[in-house]
Amino acid sequence: MAAAIEVAGLTKQYGPVRAVDDLSFEVRSGAVTGFLGPNGAGKTTTLRMVLGLARPTAGHATVMGRPYTDLDEPARTVGANLEIAGAHPGRSGRDHLRSLAAMAGLSRGRVEEVLELVELREPAGRRAGKYSMGMRQRLGLAATLLGDPGVLELDEPANGLDPQGIRWLRDFLRSMAAEGRTGLVSSHVLAEVAQTVDDVVVIHRGKLVDQGPVTRLTATRAVTVRSPRAQELLAALEREGIQVRSEADGALLVEGAEAARVGELAHVVGVPLHELTPQTTSLEEAFFALTSGAEEPS
Amino acid sequence: MSRLVRGELIKMRTTRTALGFGIASVLLVVAFVLLTTLAGDPDTLNDKRDALNVGGALSIPLLIFGIVGATGEFRHRTLAPAVLIAPDRVRLGLARLAAYVFTALAVGVIMLAAGLAIGVPILAGQPGPELGGQEYLQMIGGGLLAVGLVAALGTGIGVLVRNQVAAVVGVLVWIFIVEPLIPLASEDVARYGILNSAGSVGIGGGVADDAVPFAASLAALVGWALVFVTLGLLVDRRRDVE
Repeated sequence: MAAAIEVAGLTKQYGPVRAVDDLSFEVRSGAVTGFLGPNGAGKTTTLRMVLGLARPTAGHATVMGRPYTDLDEPARTVGANLEIAGAHPGRSGRDHLRSLAAMAGLSRGRVEEVLELVELREPAGRRAGKYSMGMRQRLGLAATLLGDPGVLELDEPANGLDPQGIRWLRDFLRSMAAEGRTGLVSSHVLAEVAQTVDDVVVIHRGKLVDQGPVTRLTATRAVTVRSPRAQELLAALEREGIQVRSEADGALLVEGAEAARVGELAHVVGVPLHELTPQTTSLEEAFFALTSGAEEPS
Repeated sequence: MSRLVRGELIKMRTTRTALGFGIASVLLVVAFVLLTTLAGDPDTLNDKRDALNVGGALSIPLLIFGIVGATGEFRHRTLAPAVLIAPDRVRLGLARLAAYVFTALAVGVIMLAAGLAIGVPILAGQPGPELGGQEYLQMIGGGLLAVGLVAALGTGIGVLVRNQVAAVVGVLVWIFIVEPLIPLASEDVARYGILNSAGSVGIGGGVADDAVPFAASLAALVGWALVFVTLGLLVDRRRDVE
Protein backbone atom coordinates (compact mmCIF):
# COMPACT_ATOMS: atom_id res chain seq x y z
CA MET A 1 0.00 0.00 0.00
CA ALA A 2 1.28 3.50 -0.83
CA ALA A 3 2.70 5.66 1.95
CA ALA A 4 0.42 8.44 3.17
CA ILE A 5 3.23 10.11 5.06
CA GLU A 6 6.85 9.82 4.08
CA VAL A 7 9.70 11.16 6.17
CA ALA A 8 13.17 11.14 4.63
CA GLY A 9 16.36 12.11 6.42
CA LEU A 10 14.52 14.61 8.59
CA THR A 11 16.84 16.53 10.90
CA LYS A 12 16.22 19.42 13.27
CA GLN A 13 18.98 21.21 15.09
CA TYR A 14 18.21 23.69 17.90
CA GLY A 15 21.54 25.31 18.71
CA PRO A 16 23.74 22.55 20.10
CA VAL A 17 20.80 20.13 20.46
CA ARG A 18 19.89 17.78 17.62
CA ALA A 19 16.22 17.14 18.37
CA VAL A 20 15.66 14.95 15.30
CA ASP A 21 18.54 13.16 13.65
CA ASP A 22 18.33 11.87 10.08
CA LEU A 23 14.93 10.29 10.69
CA SER A 24 13.24 8.30 7.95
CA PHE A 25 10.00 6.29 8.08
CA GLU A 26 6.74 5.74 6.25
CA VAL A 27 3.13 5.64 7.35
CA ARG A 28 0.97 3.27 5.30
CA SER A 29 -2.29 4.53 3.84
CA GLY A 30 -5.28 3.19 5.74
CA ALA A 31 -3.19 2.08 8.71
CA VAL A 32 -2.93 3.57 12.19
CA THR A 33 0.69 4.01 13.15
CA GLY A 34 1.84 4.58 16.69
CA PHE A 35 4.68 7.08 16.87
CA LEU A 36 6.42 6.06 20.05
CA GLY A 37 9.30 7.34 22.06
CA PRO A 38 10.11 8.56 25.53
CA ASN A 39 9.55 12.19 26.49
CA GLY A 40 11.98 14.39 24.60
CA ALA A 41 12.60 11.80 21.88
CA GLY A 42 11.68 14.28 19.13
CA LYS A 43 8.13 13.12 18.34
CA THR A 44 6.44 16.53 18.44
CA THR A 45 9.28 18.19 16.55
CA THR A 46 8.99 15.54 13.85
CA LEU A 47 5.21 15.99 13.57
CA ARG A 48 5.63 19.77 13.38
CA MET A 49 8.13 19.39 10.55
CA VAL A 50 5.78 17.04 8.68
CA LEU A 51 3.07 19.70 8.98
CA GLY A 52 5.29 22.56 7.87
CA LEU A 53 5.14 24.26 11.26
CA ALA A 54 8.88 23.85 11.78
CA ARG A 55 11.62 24.11 9.20
CA PRO A 56 13.81 21.01 8.92
CA THR A 57 17.56 21.58 9.18
CA ALA A 58 17.84 18.79 6.60
CA GLY A 59 15.63 16.23 4.91
CA HIS A 60 12.01 16.48 3.91
CA ALA A 61 8.56 15.07 4.59
CA THR A 62 5.56 14.56 2.35
CA VAL A 63 1.88 13.93 2.97
CA MET A 64 0.03 12.14 0.18
CA GLY A 65 3.12 12.64 -1.97
CA ARG A 66 3.47 16.39 -1.48
CA PRO A 67 5.00 18.68 1.13
CA TYR A 68 2.23 19.76 3.51
CA THR A 69 2.66 23.41 2.55
CA ASP A 70 1.97 22.52 -1.10
CA LEU A 71 -1.36 20.77 -0.42
CA ASP A 72 -4.30 22.47 -2.12
CA GLU A 73 -6.77 21.93 0.72
CA PRO A 74 -4.71 20.96 3.77
CA ALA A 75 -7.67 20.90 6.17
CA ARG A 76 -9.50 18.42 3.95
CA THR A 77 -6.41 16.24 3.57
CA VAL A 78 -4.80 16.16 7.00
CA GLY A 79 -6.26 16.77 10.42
CA ALA A 80 -3.64 17.56 13.00
CA ASN A 81 -3.87 18.10 16.71
CA LEU A 82 -0.54 19.25 18.01
CA GLU A 83 -1.23 21.80 20.70
CA ILE A 84 -4.00 21.26 23.20
CA ALA A 85 -6.83 22.88 21.22
CA GLY A 86 -4.83 26.02 20.34
CA ALA A 87 -7.92 28.01 21.22
CA HIS A 88 -7.89 31.51 22.69
CA PRO A 89 -8.95 31.20 26.36
CA GLY A 90 -11.47 34.02 25.94
CA ARG A 91 -13.18 32.47 22.92
CA SER A 92 -15.82 29.76 23.12
CA GLY A 93 -15.05 26.33 21.70
CA ARG A 94 -17.81 26.76 19.13
CA ASP A 95 -16.47 30.14 17.96
CA HIS A 96 -12.95 28.72 17.78
CA LEU A 97 -14.21 26.01 15.45
CA ARG A 98 -16.34 28.47 13.47
CA SER A 99 -13.33 30.66 12.75
CA LEU A 100 -11.32 27.65 11.57
CA ALA A 101 -14.27 26.40 9.49
CA ALA A 102 -14.59 29.80 7.82
CA MET A 103 -10.87 29.77 6.98
CA ALA A 104 -11.17 26.30 5.48
CA GLY A 105 -14.35 27.19 3.56
CA LEU A 106 -16.49 24.80 5.63
CA SER A 107 -20.04 25.33 6.81
CA ARG A 108 -21.27 26.11 10.32
CA GLY A 109 -23.22 22.87 10.13
CA ARG A 110 -19.96 20.96 10.00
CA VAL A 111 -18.92 22.64 13.25
CA GLU A 112 -22.00 21.24 14.98
CA GLU A 113 -21.31 17.80 13.47
CA VAL A 114 -17.79 17.59 14.88
CA LEU A 115 -18.92 18.95 18.24
CA GLU A 116 -21.44 16.13 18.33
CA LEU A 117 -18.79 13.63 17.28
CA VAL A 118 -16.44 14.52 20.14
CA GLU A 119 -19.35 14.87 22.59
CA LEU A 120 -18.67 18.54 23.29
CA ARG A 121 -21.87 20.17 22.09
CA GLU A 122 -23.23 21.10 25.48
CA PRO A 123 -20.20 23.07 26.77
CA ALA A 124 -19.27 24.42 23.33
CA GLY A 125 -20.65 27.86 24.14
CA ARG A 126 -18.39 28.27 27.17
CA ARG A 127 -15.01 29.97 26.95
CA ALA A 128 -12.18 27.57 26.15
CA GLY A 129 -10.18 28.94 29.09
CA LYS A 130 -12.75 27.37 31.41
CA TYR A 131 -12.48 23.90 29.84
CA SER A 132 -10.95 20.96 31.64
CA MET A 133 -7.93 19.29 30.06
CA GLY A 134 -10.12 16.53 28.65
CA MET A 135 -12.54 19.04 27.10
CA ARG A 136 -9.63 20.90 25.50
CA GLN A 137 -8.36 17.63 24.05
CA ARG A 138 -11.80 16.98 22.58
CA LEU A 139 -11.92 20.50 21.18
CA GLY A 140 -8.56 19.88 19.53
CA LEU A 141 -9.86 16.63 18.04
CA ALA A 142 -12.98 18.43 16.80
CA ALA A 143 -10.76 20.94 14.98
CA THR A 144 -8.78 18.04 13.57
CA LEU A 145 -11.92 16.47 12.11
CA LEU A 146 -13.44 19.66 10.66
CA GLY A 147 -12.35 19.00 7.08
CA ASP A 148 -13.20 15.28 7.31
CA PRO A 149 -9.57 14.46 6.43
CA GLY A 150 -8.31 11.04 5.43
CA VAL A 151 -5.08 11.46 7.38
CA LEU A 152 -4.92 12.25 11.09
CA GLU A 153 -1.87 13.34 13.06
CA LEU A 154 -2.44 13.32 16.78
CA ASP A 155 0.27 14.33 19.21
CA GLU A 156 -0.04 12.77 22.65
CA PRO A 157 -3.85 12.76 22.50
CA ALA A 158 -4.18 11.07 25.91
CA ASN A 159 -2.19 13.69 27.80
CA GLY A 160 -4.14 14.90 30.77
CA LEU A 161 -7.12 12.62 30.20
CA ASP A 162 -8.77 10.82 33.09
CA PRO A 163 -9.48 7.06 32.76
CA GLN A 164 -12.91 7.80 31.30
CA GLY A 165 -11.33 10.15 28.78
CA ILE A 166 -8.69 7.58 27.81
CA ARG A 167 -11.42 5.02 27.23
CA TRP A 168 -13.31 7.51 25.10
CA LEU A 169 -10.12 8.25 23.15
CA ARG A 170 -9.47 4.56 22.54
CA ASP A 171 -12.99 4.14 21.15
CA PHE A 172 -12.50 7.26 19.07
CA LEU A 173 -9.24 5.96 17.59
CA ARG A 174 -10.84 2.60 16.86
CA SER A 175 -13.71 4.22 15.02
CA MET A 176 -11.29 6.36 13.01
CA ALA A 177 -9.33 3.24 12.09
CA ALA A 178 -12.53 1.37 11.20
CA GLU A 179 -13.40 4.17 8.77
CA GLY A 180 -10.16 3.47 6.95
CA ARG A 181 -8.42 6.70 7.86
CA THR A 182 -4.66 6.88 8.09
CA GLY A 183 -3.45 7.82 11.53
CA LEU A 184 -0.12 8.81 13.02
CA VAL A 185 -0.55 8.91 16.78
CA SER A 186 2.35 9.90 18.95
CA SER A 187 2.48 8.77 22.51
CA HIS A 188 4.70 7.87 25.40
CA VAL A 189 1.82 6.10 27.15
CA LEU A 190 1.55 2.81 25.35
CA ALA A 191 -1.66 1.43 26.79
CA GLU A 192 -3.73 3.94 24.83
CA VAL A 193 -2.29 2.98 21.46
CA ALA A 194 -1.38 -0.67 21.92
CA GLN A 195 -4.87 -1.89 21.15
CA THR A 196 -5.42 0.42 18.22
CA VAL A 197 -2.31 0.69 16.09
CA ASP A 198 -1.37 -1.49 13.14
CA ASP A 199 2.22 -0.31 12.86
CA VAL A 200 4.69 1.38 15.15
CA VAL A 201 7.57 3.75 14.63
CA VAL A 202 9.82 3.93 17.67
CA ILE A 203 12.29 6.77 18.04
CA HIS A 204 14.80 7.57 20.71
CA ARG A 205 16.93 10.73 20.95
CA GLY A 206 15.70 11.80 17.54
CA LYS A 207 16.75 8.61 15.77
CA LEU A 208 14.72 5.72 14.44
CA VAL A 209 14.94 2.66 16.69
CA ASP A 210 12.45 0.35 15.01
CA GLN A 211 9.60 0.43 12.56
CA GLY A 212 7.12 -2.20 11.46
CA PRO A 213 3.85 -3.96 12.19
CA VAL A 214 2.96 -4.01 15.87
CA THR A 215 2.54 -7.79 15.61
CA ARG A 216 6.24 -8.14 14.85
CA LEU A 217 7.22 -6.17 17.91
CA THR A 218 4.86 -8.10 20.10
CA ALA A 219 5.56 -11.48 18.45
CA THR A 220 6.08 -14.60 20.54
CA ARG A 221 9.49 -14.43 22.09
CA ALA A 222 9.43 -17.63 24.17
CA VAL A 223 7.35 -20.68 25.09
CA THR A 224 6.79 -21.85 28.66
CA VAL A 225 6.64 -25.65 28.97
CA ARG A 226 5.79 -27.78 31.98
CA SER A 227 6.28 -31.53 32.01
CA PRO A 228 6.72 -34.19 34.71
CA ARG A 229 9.77 -35.32 32.64
CA ALA A 230 11.18 -31.84 32.04
CA GLN A 231 14.83 -32.92 31.97
CA GLU A 232 14.18 -35.37 29.11
CA LEU A 233 12.46 -32.69 27.13
CA LEU A 234 15.26 -30.22 27.89
CA ALA A 235 17.83 -32.67 26.54
CA ALA A 236 15.75 -33.27 23.40
CA LEU A 237 15.38 -29.55 22.76
CA GLU A 238 19.10 -28.96 23.23
CA ARG A 239 19.88 -31.79 20.82
CA GLU A 240 17.82 -29.86 18.24
CA GLY A 241 19.90 -26.73 18.92
CA ILE A 242 16.98 -24.92 20.52
CA GLN A 243 17.82 -22.48 23.30
CA VAL A 244 16.12 -23.51 26.53
CA ARG A 245 16.57 -22.88 30.21
CA SER A 246 15.09 -24.27 33.40
CA GLU A 247 13.09 -21.87 35.56
CA ALA A 248 13.10 -21.98 39.35
CA ASP A 249 9.55 -23.34 39.46
CA GLY A 250 10.47 -26.32 37.27
CA ALA A 251 9.14 -24.91 34.02
CA LEU A 252 11.24 -24.70 30.88
CA LEU A 253 11.52 -21.44 28.98
CA VAL A 254 12.12 -22.20 25.31
CA GLU A 255 13.41 -19.39 23.11
CA GLY A 256 13.72 -19.45 19.35
CA ALA A 257 11.05 -22.08 18.69
CA GLU A 258 7.30 -21.93 18.13
CA ALA A 259 4.96 -23.70 20.54
CA ALA A 260 3.95 -26.12 17.77
CA ARG A 261 7.49 -27.29 17.22
CA VAL A 262 8.05 -27.79 20.96
CA GLY A 263 4.82 -29.81 21.14
CA GLU A 264 5.78 -31.99 18.18
CA LEU A 265 9.21 -32.65 19.61
CA ALA A 266 7.67 -33.65 22.96
CA HIS A 267 5.41 -36.05 21.09
CA VAL A 268 8.34 -37.56 19.18
CA VAL A 269 10.33 -38.22 22.38
CA GLY A 270 7.20 -39.36 24.23
CA VAL A 271 7.26 -36.75 26.96
CA PRO A 272 3.87 -35.68 28.37
CA LEU A 273 3.16 -31.98 28.61
CA HIS A 274 1.19 -30.24 31.34
CA GLU A 275 1.58 -26.74 29.91
CA LEU A 276 2.62 -25.22 26.59
CA THR A 277 2.18 -21.43 26.67
CA PRO A 278 3.51 -18.96 24.08
CA GLN A 279 4.85 -15.87 25.87
CA THR A 280 4.06 -12.75 23.82
CA THR A 281 5.85 -9.52 24.49
CA SER A 282 3.60 -6.60 25.27
CA LEU A 283 4.10 -3.43 23.30
CA GLU A 284 5.24 -1.83 26.52
CA GLU A 285 7.92 -4.48 27.08
CA ALA A 286 9.05 -4.19 23.47
CA PHE A 287 9.18 -0.42 23.79
CA PHE A 288 11.28 -0.53 26.93
CA ALA A 289 13.58 -3.10 25.39
CA LEU A 290 14.10 -0.83 22.38
CA THR A 291 14.57 2.36 24.35
CA SER A 292 16.15 1.06 27.53
CA GLY A 293 17.86 3.92 29.32
CA ALA A 294 16.02 6.23 26.99
CA GLU A 295 14.75 8.88 29.37
CA GLU A 296 16.29 12.21 28.54
CA PRO A 297 17.89 14.09 31.38
CA SER A 298 15.33 16.65 32.48
CA MET B 1 -8.09 35.03 0.72
CA SER B 2 -11.61 36.22 1.51
CA ARG B 3 -12.34 33.14 3.63
CA LEU B 4 -9.16 33.72 5.62
CA VAL B 5 -10.27 37.30 6.28
CA ARG B 6 -13.72 36.01 7.26
CA GLY B 7 -12.14 33.57 9.71
CA GLU B 8 -9.94 36.29 11.19
CA LEU B 9 -12.96 38.58 11.57
CA ILE B 10 -14.82 35.83 13.44
CA LYS B 11 -11.81 35.54 15.74
CA MET B 12 -11.83 39.30 16.18
CA ARG B 13 -15.44 39.59 17.25
CA THR B 14 -15.48 36.52 19.49
CA THR B 15 -13.10 37.82 22.14
CA ARG B 16 -13.39 40.95 24.22
CA THR B 17 -10.17 42.49 22.93
CA ALA B 18 -11.65 44.39 19.98
CA LEU B 19 -14.72 45.39 21.97
CA GLY B 20 -12.60 46.67 24.85
CA PHE B 21 -10.33 48.74 22.64
CA GLY B 22 -13.32 50.00 20.65
CA ILE B 23 -15.14 51.19 23.77
CA ALA B 24 -11.96 52.75 25.16
CA SER B 25 -11.34 54.58 21.88
CA VAL B 26 -14.87 55.99 21.71
CA LEU B 27 -14.87 57.05 25.38
CA LEU B 28 -11.53 58.73 24.85
CA VAL B 29 -12.91 60.67 21.87
CA VAL B 30 -15.99 61.76 23.86
CA ALA B 31 -13.86 62.93 26.78
CA PHE B 32 -11.36 64.68 24.52
CA VAL B 33 -14.00 66.47 22.45
CA LEU B 34 -15.89 67.64 25.55
CA LEU B 35 -12.70 68.83 27.19
CA THR B 36 -11.33 70.72 24.19
CA THR B 37 -14.60 72.26 23.03
CA LEU B 38 -15.90 73.29 26.45
CA ALA B 39 -12.68 74.12 28.30
CA GLY B 40 -10.28 74.85 25.45
CA ASP B 41 -12.10 77.82 23.87
CA PRO B 42 -11.33 76.82 20.28
CA ASP B 43 -11.77 79.93 18.17
CA THR B 44 -9.64 79.26 15.08
CA LEU B 45 -10.13 76.70 12.30
CA ASN B 46 -7.00 74.89 13.49
CA ASP B 47 -8.29 74.67 17.07
CA LYS B 48 -11.66 73.39 15.89
CA ARG B 49 -10.10 70.77 13.64
CA ASP B 50 -7.82 69.66 16.47
CA ALA B 51 -10.81 69.30 18.76
CA LEU B 52 -12.43 66.77 16.41
CA ASN B 53 -9.27 64.98 15.21
CA VAL B 54 -9.43 61.22 15.81
CA GLY B 55 -5.88 60.77 14.45
CA GLY B 56 -2.89 61.65 16.64
CA ALA B 57 -3.10 60.73 20.32
CA LEU B 58 -6.69 59.48 20.04
CA SER B 59 -5.58 56.75 17.62
CA ILE B 60 -3.03 55.31 20.07
CA PRO B 61 -5.53 52.79 21.53
CA LEU B 62 -5.98 51.38 18.02
CA LEU B 63 -2.20 51.16 17.60
CA ILE B 64 -2.08 49.18 20.85
CA PHE B 65 -5.10 47.14 19.66
CA GLY B 66 -3.11 46.00 16.60
CA ILE B 67 -0.14 45.10 18.79
CA VAL B 68 -2.19 43.24 21.41
CA GLY B 69 -4.13 41.33 18.76
CA ALA B 70 -1.08 40.26 16.78
CA THR B 71 1.05 39.38 19.80
CA GLY B 72 -1.93 37.59 21.36
CA GLU B 73 -1.61 34.89 18.70
CA PHE B 74 1.88 34.12 19.99
CA ARG B 75 1.03 34.66 23.64
CA HIS B 76 -1.93 32.27 23.62
CA ARG B 77 -0.26 29.92 21.10
CA THR B 78 -3.27 30.07 18.80
CA LEU B 79 -1.33 30.42 15.57
CA ALA B 80 -0.86 26.74 14.73
CA PRO B 81 -4.50 25.82 13.94
CA ALA B 82 -4.73 28.70 11.44
CA VAL B 83 -1.35 27.91 9.86
CA LEU B 84 -2.42 24.28 9.42
CA ILE B 85 -5.37 25.51 7.35
CA ALA B 86 -3.43 28.23 5.53
CA PRO B 87 0.24 27.21 5.39
CA ASP B 88 1.14 30.29 3.32
CA ARG B 89 2.13 32.54 6.20
CA VAL B 90 2.22 35.72 4.12
CA ARG B 91 -1.38 35.20 2.93
CA LEU B 92 -2.47 34.42 6.47
CA GLY B 93 -0.62 37.49 7.77
CA LEU B 94 -2.24 39.72 5.15
CA ALA B 95 -5.68 38.32 6.01
CA ARG B 96 -5.05 39.11 9.68
CA LEU B 97 -3.87 42.58 8.74
CA ALA B 98 -7.02 43.17 6.69
CA ALA B 99 -9.20 42.04 9.59
CA TYR B 100 -7.48 44.45 12.00
CA VAL B 101 -7.72 47.33 9.54
CA PHE B 102 -11.43 46.64 8.88
CA THR B 103 -12.11 46.51 12.60
CA ALA B 104 -10.16 49.73 13.21
CA LEU B 105 -12.12 51.43 10.42
CA ALA B 106 -15.40 50.32 11.99
CA VAL B 107 -14.25 51.70 15.34
CA GLY B 108 -13.06 54.85 13.55
CA VAL B 109 -16.53 55.40 12.10
CA ILE B 110 -18.02 55.24 15.60
CA MET B 111 -15.27 57.50 16.98
CA LEU B 112 -15.97 60.07 14.27
CA ALA B 113 -19.73 59.81 14.69
CA ALA B 114 -19.45 60.29 18.46
CA GLY B 115 -16.95 63.15 18.13
CA LEU B 116 -18.97 64.98 15.51
CA ALA B 117 -22.29 64.39 17.26
CA ILE B 118 -20.97 65.99 20.43
CA GLY B 119 -18.47 68.46 18.99
CA VAL B 120 -20.32 70.06 16.07
CA PRO B 121 -23.21 71.56 18.12
CA ILE B 122 -20.80 72.85 20.76
CA LEU B 123 -18.39 74.30 18.17
CA ALA B 124 -21.30 76.04 16.41
CA GLY B 125 -21.70 78.20 19.48
CA GLN B 126 -17.99 79.09 19.68
CA PRO B 127 -16.58 82.35 18.30
CA GLY B 128 -14.39 82.48 15.17
CA PRO B 129 -14.67 80.96 11.71
CA GLU B 130 -16.79 77.84 11.30
CA LEU B 131 -15.71 74.52 9.80
CA GLY B 132 -17.36 73.95 6.42
CA GLY B 133 -18.61 70.78 4.76
CA GLN B 134 -15.31 70.39 2.89
CA GLU B 135 -13.33 70.45 6.14
CA TYR B 136 -15.64 67.92 7.76
CA LEU B 137 -15.28 65.58 4.79
CA GLN B 138 -11.47 65.95 4.94
CA MET B 139 -11.53 65.12 8.64
CA ILE B 140 -13.74 62.08 8.15
CA GLY B 141 -11.58 60.74 5.32
CA GLY B 142 -8.33 61.66 7.06
CA GLY B 143 -9.52 60.25 10.38
CA LEU B 144 -10.40 56.90 8.84
CA LEU B 145 -7.08 56.77 6.99
CA ALA B 146 -5.22 57.54 10.21
CA VAL B 147 -6.91 54.89 12.37
CA GLY B 148 -6.63 52.23 9.62
CA LEU B 149 -2.94 52.88 9.06
CA VAL B 150 -2.18 53.08 12.77
CA ALA B 151 -3.91 49.71 13.35
CA ALA B 152 -1.89 48.23 10.45
CA LEU B 153 1.31 49.61 12.00
CA GLY B 154 0.39 48.06 15.35
CA THR B 155 -0.28 44.70 13.72
CA GLY B 156 3.08 44.83 11.92
CA ILE B 157 4.91 45.67 15.14
CA GLY B 158 3.07 42.88 16.99
CA VAL B 159 3.98 40.24 14.39
CA LEU B 160 7.60 41.40 14.33
CA VAL B 161 8.17 41.65 18.10
CA ARG B 162 5.83 38.81 19.31
CA ASN B 163 6.35 39.63 23.00
CA GLN B 164 3.24 41.59 24.01
CA VAL B 165 4.69 43.50 26.94
CA ALA B 166 7.88 44.41 25.08
CA ALA B 167 5.95 45.58 22.02
CA VAL B 168 3.43 47.71 23.92
CA VAL B 169 6.00 49.24 26.27
CA GLY B 170 8.43 49.80 23.39
CA VAL B 171 5.84 51.66 21.33
CA LEU B 172 4.67 53.78 24.26
CA VAL B 173 8.26 54.70 25.08
CA TRP B 174 8.85 55.59 21.43
CA ILE B 175 5.73 57.75 21.18
CA PHE B 176 5.82 59.49 24.53
CA ILE B 177 9.55 59.73 25.23
CA VAL B 178 11.60 59.32 22.05
CA GLU B 179 9.43 61.20 19.55
CA PRO B 180 9.07 64.28 21.79
CA LEU B 181 12.87 64.40 22.05
CA ILE B 182 13.47 64.25 18.29
CA PRO B 183 12.82 68.00 17.76
CA LEU B 184 15.92 68.66 19.87
CA ALA B 185 17.90 67.04 17.06
CA SER B 186 15.79 68.01 14.04
CA GLU B 187 12.43 69.75 13.80
CA ASP B 188 11.99 68.49 10.23
CA VAL B 189 12.48 64.83 11.14
CA ALA B 190 10.16 65.14 14.13
CA ARG B 191 7.27 66.16 11.90
CA TYR B 192 7.33 62.74 10.32
CA GLY B 193 7.13 60.77 13.56
CA ILE B 194 4.24 58.35 14.10
CA LEU B 195 2.15 60.62 16.32
CA ASN B 196 2.68 63.79 14.28
CA SER B 197 1.98 62.00 10.98
CA ALA B 198 -1.19 60.34 12.33
CA GLY B 199 -2.38 63.67 13.73
CA SER B 200 -1.72 65.47 10.48
CA VAL B 201 -3.44 62.76 8.41
CA GLY B 202 -6.35 62.77 10.88
CA ILE B 203 -7.33 66.35 10.17
CA GLY B 204 -7.17 65.72 6.43
CA GLY B 205 -4.16 67.97 5.83
CA GLY B 206 -2.33 70.75 7.62
CA VAL B 207 -3.73 74.26 7.50
CA ALA B 208 -0.92 76.35 8.96
CA ASP B 209 1.63 77.69 6.51
CA ASP B 210 4.46 75.68 8.03
CA ALA B 211 2.37 72.48 8.39
CA VAL B 212 3.47 69.28 6.66
CA PRO B 213 1.39 68.75 3.48
CA PHE B 214 -1.29 66.09 3.78
CA ALA B 215 0.34 63.94 1.09
CA ALA B 216 3.69 64.01 2.89
CA SER B 217 2.12 63.09 6.25
CA LEU B 218 0.13 60.33 4.60
CA ALA B 219 3.26 59.03 2.86
CA ALA B 220 5.11 59.05 6.18
CA LEU B 221 2.34 57.13 7.98
CA VAL B 222 2.02 54.65 5.10
CA GLY B 223 5.82 54.27 5.24
CA TRP B 224 5.77 53.50 8.98
CA ALA B 225 3.04 50.90 8.48
CA LEU B 226 4.61 49.42 5.36
CA VAL B 227 8.04 48.99 6.92
CA PHE B 228 6.75 47.17 10.01
CA VAL B 229 4.16 45.08 8.17
CA THR B 230 6.70 44.00 5.55
CA LEU B 231 9.38 43.26 8.14
CA GLY B 232 6.86 41.37 10.28
CA LEU B 233 5.64 39.21 7.40
CA LEU B 234 9.13 38.48 6.08
CA VAL B 235 10.49 37.55 9.49
CA ASP B 236 7.38 35.58 10.46
CA ARG B 237 7.40 33.37 7.36
CA ARG B 238 10.84 32.10 8.34
CA ARG B 239 9.91 31.36 11.93
CA ASP B 240 8.80 28.02 13.31
CA VAL B 241 5.25 28.06 14.68
CA GLU B 242 5.25 27.43 18.42
